[in-house]
Amino acid sequence: MIAPNHAADSAPAADEGREIRVRILRQDAPGQESYWERHAVPYEPNMNVISVLQRIAAGARSADGRPVAPVTWDCNCLEEVCGSCTMLINGRTRMACSALVDRLLEEQPEEIELRPMSKFPVVRDLVVDRRRLFRGLERVKAWVPVDDSYDHGPGPRISPEEQEDAYPLSTCMSCGCCLEACPQYTKIEPVRREGETGEAFAERRQGAFDRGFVGAHAVSQAMLFNAHPTGKMIADERLEALTSAGGIQMCGNAQNCVAVCPKAIPLTRSIARAGRAATVWAIKRLFDR
Amino acid sequence: MAQPRVVVVGGGLAGLSATMRLAELGVTVDLLSLVPVKRSHSVCAQGGINSVNALTRQQGDSEWKHFDDTVYGGDFLQHQPPVKEMADWGPRIIDLMDRLGVPFNRTPEGFRDQRRFGGTLYKRTAFAGATTGQQLLYALDEQVRRHEVAGRVTKWEFWDFLAPVLDDTGRCRGAICQDLVSMQFRSFPADAVILASGGCGLVYGRSTMSMVCTGSAISRAYQHGAAYGNGEFIQVHPTAIPGADKLRLMSESARGEGGRVWVPRTPQDPRDPRTIPEAERCYFLEERYPKYKNLVPRDIATREIFDICTTEGLSVEKDRPCVYLDLTHLPRQELDRKLHGILEIYEKFQGVDPRDVPMKIFPAVHYSMGGLWVDYQRSATGGMEEGSPRNHQTSIPGLYAVGECDYQYHGANRLGANSLLSCIFSGLFCASGVIAGSQSSKRTAAEESSRLFDAALRREQDRHEALLGRRGSGDNPYQIHQELGALMTRVATVVRRNEQLSAAYDEVCALEDRWRRCAVSDTGNWTNQNVVFTKSLGDMFPLAKIILIGALQRDECRGAHFKPAFAVPGLQATDEAARRREAEEWCDRFASNTARWLKSTVARPGADGHPQIAYEDVDTSLIPPRPRLYGLVGADLIEEVWRERQQASEARVGGTGVGSGRPLAATS
Amino acid sequence: MNVSTDESAAASFLGRNQFLIYRLFSLSGLVPVGGFLAVHLLTNASILGGAESFQGRVDLIHSLGALLVPVEIALIFLPILFHATVGFMIIAGGLPNVGSYPYAGNIRYTLQRATGMIAFAFIVWHLIHLHWLGAPVRGNALPGFDPHHASSTLAVAMGSMVMNLLYAIGMLSAVYHFANGLWSLGITWGLWTSPAAMRRANWVSVVVGAVLAAAGLGSLIGVRRVDVEAARAMEGRREEMRRMLEGEVPLPSARMMETAVEPRAVESPRTGT
Repeated sequence: MIAPNHAADSAPAADEGREIRVRILRQDAPGQESYWERHAVPYEPNMNVISVLQRIAAGARSADGRPVAPVTWDCNCLEEVCGSCTMLINGRTRMACSALVDRLLEEQPEEIELRPMSKFPVVRDLVVDRRRLFRGLERVKAWVPVDDSYDHGPGPRISPEEQEDAYPLSTCMSCGCCLEACPQYTKIEPVRREGETGEAFAERRQGAFDRGFVGAHAVSQAMLFNAHPTGKMIADERLEALTSAGGIQMCGNAQNCVAVCPKAIPLTRSIARAGRAATVWAIKRLFDR
Repeated sequence: MAQPRVVVVGGGLAGLSATMRLAELGVTVDLLSLVPVKRSHSVCAQGGINSVNALTRQQGDSEWKHFDDTVYGGDFLQHQPPVKEMADWGPRIIDLMDRLGVPFNRTPEGFRDQRRFGGTLYKRTAFAGATTGQQLLYALDEQVRRHEVAGRVTKWEFWDFLAPVLDDTGRCRGAICQDLVSMQFRSFPADAVILASGGCGLVYGRSTMSMVCTGSAISRAYQHGAAYGNGEFIQVHPTAIPGADKLRLMSESARGEGGRVWVPRTPQDPRDPRTIPEAERCYFLEERYPKYKNLVPRDIATREIFDICTTEGLSVEKDRPCVYLDLTHLPRQELDRKLHGILEIYEKFQGVDPRDVPMKIFPAVHYSMGGLWVDYQRSATGGMEEGSPRNHQTSIPGLYAVGECDYQYHGANRLGANSLLSCIFSGLFCASGVIAGSQSSKRTAAEESSRLFDAALRREQDRHEALLGRRGSGDNPYQIHQELGALMTRVATVVRRNEQLSAAYDEVCALEDRWRRCAVSDTGNWTNQNVVFTKSLGDMFPLAKIILIGALQRDECRGAHFKPAFAVPGLQATDEAARRREAEEWCDRFASNTARWLKSTVARPGADGHPQIAYEDVDTSLIPPRPRLYGLVGADLIEEVWRERQQASEARVGGTGVGSGRPLAATS
Repeated sequence: MNVSTDESAAASFLGRNQFLIYRLFSLSGLVPVGGFLAVHLLTNASILGGAESFQGRVDLIHSLGALLVPVEIALIFLPILFHATVGFMIIAGGLPNVGSYPYAGNIRYTLQRATGMIAFAFIVWHLIHLHWLGAPVRGNALPGFDPHHASSTLAVAMGSMVMNLLYAIGMLSAVYHFANGLWSLGITWGLWTSPAAMRRANWVSVVVGAVLAAAGLGSLIGVRRVDVEAARAMEGRREEMRRMLEGEVPLPSARMMETAVEPRAVESPRTGT
């Protein structure tokens, strides 16, 4: 969703006339060719990439003054908690809301480069389809299997240490940065075949998702719930999922996930814990068979 | 009869809790959302969720006191039975969320930790770091995902609710929605439609709200005849971080954990705030409100901050109004444990570490107490009768509203950490009534003639085509939105004046005219955000008008609605007898104002495009209204006088009267 | 890269057993392949102690006699082949992105793949160059390695600087691959889980890598230090001793000690065992 707003604050005189050059990799629809387009917006202090995109959308003209369709992108909260606005900014995956223009220009003074995430199918321009990411949460049953939502008294007692361990994992906003930066997570973009029904296609797509790497975010969620006193009641089911095709074994320990995570979630710790749990589980299963 | 089918619009706390409970009860739910539900605006709620708990109970707290704080904080402008029911459910809801795995902060012994929030003297607020809303939302999102896997829920993410479908009896039979990716239209026949679409902050341009909070869903329901209540009551949060694209919330929990608000006594003191000695700092909230200190209700804190910057000229910066919110005296480790999320936001967006340097903050539009008018059924115990189809039903039968988009719980001002409670409560609570209501209907949605839906769908398609086909005046929808936001922020936030409000109403009409003539720059039919935004902008005008006309007509001060022209000052006299007389007069004035204005504003769409305003009596049968005296000069004496009067009147009547049904008052 | 959305039978088998296969892959990198690498490099390093000490170690290995070949195949060649096959599959499935994300961990990930490929190519070459298995391939073009004349044949084979450089690259690749693989294995199996433990484990793998690299480079230096003539003499003497012990020639006498420097030992080094 977009709702551009021009800033009320006016730029100081020193920045008058200064322009920010932006290069955007656009794509009109899935399956179409992508193309670069240049834009320029007047500089203002304290801008972030979202406000740059808002001005571009409002202007709907390229740098050479040609009228163009407004650039499309995802965003919502603008304070880095909703996980919507992930994109490749100057080649690196990050949230557009917390990407401050001043810092980007320090990084790369000539221009800001925006591209859609490369591991998910492009819907349009900077909007990608992250359904596979959410499917990952289903695969590892990332939930507490409660009986129902009626009153059964409080939840289990939890020590502050356990809470402090769990809380960071629980701040994962499903932005997909960890997946974008992961060299082991590769794009899955099935194309609907001629004559294929929507349901058949959705099923085939899901099958493909389910064979692909589940990703750091889902591994971490599995560990979050396997540590919860009630959540762990289906720990085996999660480990089963984590040791099936596309499971924890796909991790190559590049550790980019933890390096790019905007919430600094200890993803590699979760991965290693999942590795340990999978080891124990696999051995146990071998003997329990 | 077959299990009903329900459409839920919005996947925040209210929508998800309704979906969870409905799915559990065997209902098939279509859950629609503008964004993946996990990205809903509820994630922005930071501080916590209120309820009486084992600890506060032993300090004298009770559900009743929570209820009392809520209606007192809300200046009595809410029907009391639903609020009582909510306060009663509080402990159960926290327990439930705890069971769902929300990582609430813990005491050393492993119990849930609590902190204090505004408008109460008890540590009633459970919290998970400083991202409580996010944590609560995720827990519900997970449960709904579980139901989705089990096939009871179908999520329609990136879908826009365009209109309710009403049959010839005026009953809601489903909804027309649009896929924001393929731009395809689809009708959703349903036995009930629940709107849980949140607030309408974008009417103000920049606010603490997320980009989806356009209010378009409620506006569309209103335009189809649903009544809108208390629109003029918009909460301006006292502490937000000013930004070019958004005003980012700085949670009340910062003050709940000991944060102090101050300004240098010297206007625009150029010194580093850390070097300014205590004596040269003005802790104005602590000085003026010795009882609640920095934790006065939000409307009051907001006005004080606004005042100290504008009227008293003590803003920290010259060009930009702001005050210090200071946490630097608190231990770092404690801050990280309890407030990490919000400190990180400040650090990331301002580039300054608030653990070392006081934050600069200023009020921002934050929450809409008003919303779609909804009904309720009073129970024998004075609460809300569970299972009644009237609960949370809008003035359109079969169309329900829960969460921020209803007007039910917060009256004229919402207390911090009560919205998370009201959202989850209303979502959970409404489910059984929704089912009962849909079963009482003679026909199911599936039996409804497809002609009804086809016609409604075609109407929306035509509207869309017309918008795409407009040959514009060259006016730009984004520009119009910016002007609308600036206008609304100027006249309808902290301080309201009739001449400004009435001029602004005309300006909004003019902006709406310009909107009718503006054209979209993208006329394609694939993920066209331009047309979606333009459409939702058009739906902001009815809401803006409701807010302005409601504010214009309400000639009093109540909660977040403050008109200096109608403010009642505190006691001036120093002589005891004169002071007593003033207090009596003050109470007289209060009583007459209550009689005149303790009424909900109810707006309905008029044929001429202007809202028709009516006033509805408020059910105050449980707690009689009393003066809201936070920090007022002479509060003690006024309170004394008021108490004497109450006692006298109770002795006369022999107990408080009990109100029953409450039909909408006739148009005044 | 696009993953196929349809599953063949083979893919389905691999999918079902992916976890097991990847774990065996990981394990095989340590035992036996990594273990063998360590033994091999440390054995080689004994050449720093002189040709005789090296020959002693080689003799020890070859004391397995007829068992040596099946042991080599079962514990070394097949595991390496398995590790390499799965490794190439893994490499083919990944998308290194060190250009965009030049973080230490990512560089190590990328190097792990690069060194794995280099090490495998090197092992193949190494076998052709020195092992009996490579004899048919190398023919007479290259000198081989005679375990009974370990130092002298090795010194001749490693005569050129280019060869030394090649071996240094190959050996260091294998060492890096093993040492970093050790660290990675610890995460995979869950031996070290916290970032602090990973940092500590990192030091362990650095030490392991440094020791093995030193051993490997040391043996290259050791080989260069070998006095071929003297080595041959020593190897000849040991050969005689061995023959005598095996009863191929009569028991020692003073005469035999004199004939030990007979021309047989100056023939061009033989290949094979």
